[in-house]
Amino acid sequence: MVGTRGIRLQQLGLDANLEGNRRNADISWLIVLSTIENGRDDAKSHLMHDRYAELGRGPLPIEPYISPTYYELEKRHIFKRVWQHVGREAEIPNPGDYFVADLPASDASLIVIRDRDGKINAMHNVCSHRFNKLVYDERGSAGRRLNCKFHGWSYQLDGRLVGVPDEQYFEDFDRGQYGLARAHADVWQGFIFVNVDPAPAVSLADFMRPFYAGLEGYPFDRMTNCYRWQTVVNCNWKLALDAFQETYHVRYVHGRSIADALRTDDNGSMLPIDLLCGDFHRRLSMAGNPKTVYGNPKALTDGNGAAKQAGTSRAGKIAPAALKAGRGATKLHFDSAELPPAINWLKDPDWVFDINVIFPEFYVSTRPNYYQAYNFRPIAHNRTLFDSRVYYPEMKNAGGRFYQEYMKCVLRDVLLEDLGTLEQIQAGCESGPRTHMVLQDYELAVRHNAFVVDRMIREGEERREAESRRKGSPSAR
Amino acid sequence: MTSSIQLPADFAELQPYAHWALDTETARNHHRLECSVTDIEAFAGAMMAWLDEILGRLNQFPLDAIPDEWRPLYWMVLSLAEVAPVVEFYHDARVPDGYDTRRFVADESFPLRPRV
Repeated sequence: MVGTRGIRLQQLGLDANLEGNRRNADISWLIVLSTIENGRDDAKSHLMHDRYAELGRGPLPIEPYISPTYYELEKRHIFKRVWQHVGREAEIPNPGDYFVADLPASDASLIVIRDRDGKINAMHNVCSHRFNKLVYDERGSAGRRLNCKFHGWSYQLDGRLVGVPDEQYFEDFDRGQYGLARAHADVWQGFIFVNVDPAPAVSLADFMRPFYAGLEGYPFDRMTNCYRWQTVVNCNWKLALDAFQETYHVRYVHGRSIADALRTDDNGSMLPIDLLCGDFHRRLSMAGNPKTVYGNPKALTDGNGAAKQAGTSRAGKIAPAALKAGRGATKLHFDSAELPPAINWLKDPDWVFDINVIFPEFYVSTRPNYYQAYNFRPIAHNRTLFDSRVYYPEMKNAGGRFYQEYMKCVLRDVLLEDLGTLEQIQAGCESGPRTHMVLQDYELAVRHNAFVVDRMIREGEERREAESRRKGSPSAR
Repeated sequence: MTSSIQLPADFAELQPYAHWALDTETARNHHRLECSVTDIEAFAGAMMAWLDEILGRLNQFPLDAIPDEWRPLYWMVLSLAEVAPVVEFYHDARVPDGYDTRRFVADESFPLRPRV
């Protein structure tokens, strides 16, 4: 018995019980840890699907990956209701600093801006007068005010309307009514999340903490060197995310590059150490091959054995040279003891990283010395913005940067391997020879994502029907 | 390929490879696509032979204070990282069966990106 099945949260459903959620938030991670501890041997002897029987086991329909109608339902019941990651607090350190977050699946384009009190605000990038964009650039500093270039309306950094040219010519005009339309913004561990629902069903803390409280304290804020790549891929957002939440593909898609960085079992299979599915989110834990630079996280920071061992598996000479150059060059020293309890939750000695999928489409891979943060942002039923970032610690010198550049270039090329499959898969789904996909046991995260999306749509539709019955019934009149 | 960039005299042997002294990831990545695997392997081989020497000199400077005359060598070190996957994994300037790297655009002006 493993998992969070005992912790049922109705947080986005009909009867949100926030008080109950807060109680769960305090204790849930402990429950998860203790059930894992008690059930460790038992868990290993069973298929992952046995632990999550409610997710089903049959083939998955591909309609949700190709249907414009299904996408409209996802927009309505998911992307207009949930918290979505848009960036790091550190991107906008000063009052007036902003960036624009385009969220097509939420029908929103938001200005995310720090105000004079240091608070982060999210507001629709639309002037309250005649709807011009407030800011034209993707990011920048607004200075002290946001000024519309159309008729000169002027707003404070928190969205309050403070300047209206020729205000006397507006009849019965109340400035207080015409501040910028706001979305909700909040921060978890330095990550800025927004929610366009006027009344979110849960707070960000109540959305995150039941499953991710154990990740709090990971040194996200100390990994300050970020590299970012973006591309619009012609595929469904779930297909893109799915390529990053299973290890079955690694031996084939990454056979030329980093496949040997993951540990294999006696049969050559690359099973994750463990997989946890919550009511929304999910986590996978991976074991590495300590003979590789890429699969041995201790290589850079651990004094002796690890560094010697890493880099012995391939003929290449650049990897060991990069490792040697990077030794002692990082401005941070990591020790596994500093990492919070949810990291490597089964404490596997070969652990290399955890994948944390924050519903619906935010992927964070936490490693001992760097992390990746990817958004698979839907644009249409068959178009997705892949916004990918990797965060490393700052380096002291050129040798350290050489190591970091090596790690970064390998990662980027590995991402190109993953991305290479996506548009072909979308075309394969749309060409229609089959209506369902079959999954093996450790592709469970793919099933879990499809399951949660479908459940939210089903619950949302039921809610709408109940609402329209209530409005239409004689007793409600 | 030739370059107008002049490397420090001690590293004159690397002058034929000075065209790899490019200051952004995008420029280095696109240059990789223009080169043959033979060219890339020759560059990597030459850089590996001099790497300890180069880093020994560059590491004397804080990262944000590398003097102008030494910057081309620094960029060439980053180019060595750029071509590492060609030499170690792919034996092809492109990622075989991969997505077009020109569509995967590096955000060179991202505020959290290191300045150098």
